[in-house]
Amino acid sequence: MRIPQEIAETIVGPKAYGENKPVDDAFSYLRREMPLAIAEPEGFDPFWVVTKYDDIRTVEGQNELFHNGDRATTLVTKEGDRMVREMMGGSPHLVRSLVQMDNPDHMAYRKLTQSWFMPQNLKKLEARIREIARGAVDKMAAKGGECDFASDIAFLYPLHVIMEILGVPEEDEPTMLKLTQELFGAADPELSRTGEQEMTDEQRVLALQETVGEFIAYFSEMTKDRRAHPREDAASVIANGQVHGGPLGELEAMSYYIIVATAGHDTTSNTTASGLWALAENPDQFAMLKKDPSLIPNYLDESIRWATPVKHFMRTATADAEVAGQKIAKGDWMMLSYPSGNRDEDVFDDPFSFKVDRSPNKHVAFGYGAHVCLGQHLGKMEMRILWEELLPRLDSIELNGAAELSQSNFVCGPKHVPIRYKMN
Amino acid sequence: MAETEFKVWQCQTCGYIYDEAEGDPDEGLEPGTRWADIPEDWVCPMCGTPKSDFEMIEL
Repeated sequence: MRIPQEIAETIVGPKAYGENKPVDDAFSYLRREMPLAIAEPEGFDPFWVVTKYDDIRTVEGQNELFHNGDRATTLVTKEGDRMVREMMGGSPHLVRSLVQMDNPDHMAYRKLTQSWFMPQNLKKLEARIREIARGAVDKMAAKGGECDFASDIAFLYPLHVIMEILGVPEEDEPTMLKLTQELFGAADPELSRTGEQEMTDEQRVLALQETVGEFIAYFSEMTKDRRAHPREDAASVIANGQVHGGPLGELEAMSYYIIVATAGHDTTSNTTASGLWALAENPDQFAMLKKDPSLIPNYLDESIRWATPVKHFMRTATADAEVAGQKIAKGDWMMLSYPSGNRDEDVFDDPFSFKVDRSPNKHVAFGYGAHVCLGQHLGKMEMRILWEELLPRLDSIELNGAAELSQSNFVCGPKHVPIRYKMN
Repeated sequence: MAETEFKVWQCQTCGYIYDEAEGDPDEGLEPGTRWADIPEDWVCPMCGTPKSDFEMIEL
């Protein structure tokens, strides 16, 4: 069964994600009419679109049958894929992080930092993160009642936390933010490296390659330093870590830094900004949360479900398989749509409403299975601490202009959330 | 005979915590359900990791 062309173009279109509603409408149609079907947007190889919550979990739960790294792990055009393979000696990946790996490498590389990211270890960071969160709240209070919550607060607080953990000095944080936005906002004229309104596949891949190159140059220096002078930071773990009985591969080490330095803050920023935007648009939900701060954990999960900042990952079947009654052939490419899974009417009651007391709320925003987000506990802890500090001081919030989403079919979230507010 | 203390188990993939005292009512596991009484084919509700890949932890 083929997905209508207009829908197929919408679900890969960065601009549609920037508007949100066309994407929501497209996936609502697909969940209802053809929950697992093939799309072939212009310029792309055909791929299955997995839209239902249960089917996403079925695919992600079988990481030997559905690989991450056999083909591109995120949507790419045929021309973009050809260029990357040419640059990377046949590999479809510009970087090779946990996201692009399968076993046995995936497990070996994940174990390197897995215990570090577990809640019992993160507890040690709580006091310092609270200090950073208080600084962010004080900064918001000092703004005098008006700010762009996305760029003034939400982008900067998780950035500072992860850079301190990684060991990047504070003066380099603006560079890290800029490079992250270039990577995830490559199709957004405001965030991309070139700033062009329209880019060809070639321009986009070259811009991404330059951004990755800049990251690699930075982290190569850091590796040298941490090998000579190890510290108590994540960079020292990566620089001096061992996998399969030896040091990390060069590309793999660089990719490890890059994923921590990008995914380690951008998704948390997106979710924080989305959560506040939703409260500003739903005063009854803000009042409920103010009245009962014990709802903060529920509010956080609802913000994560609502934002679902990672819009998709791709999988490749390693053998013929059947999912939801459809025959998937070996080598088929599959798009897992997390926002669609998180709006699945069969799982979430009234999925298009933002409810701070939603329970249960087992969304798939962090993925599922062996590749489930390694940093989920850190992200949730950062957000919990911020809201524990901010909520008691925030008396009112309202939008002060139009909020805007970035244009990206991969990692996407608010780039501007202008608000007016009163704080005590 | 004194009841043994409730134990806490953690998924080694995603960090999900199963506390025997609290159970997980959303999963049909009532408070007080012992780890040993959970079926062997049960998987982590957050990431699908098998029961055998959980470890007992001290919180």
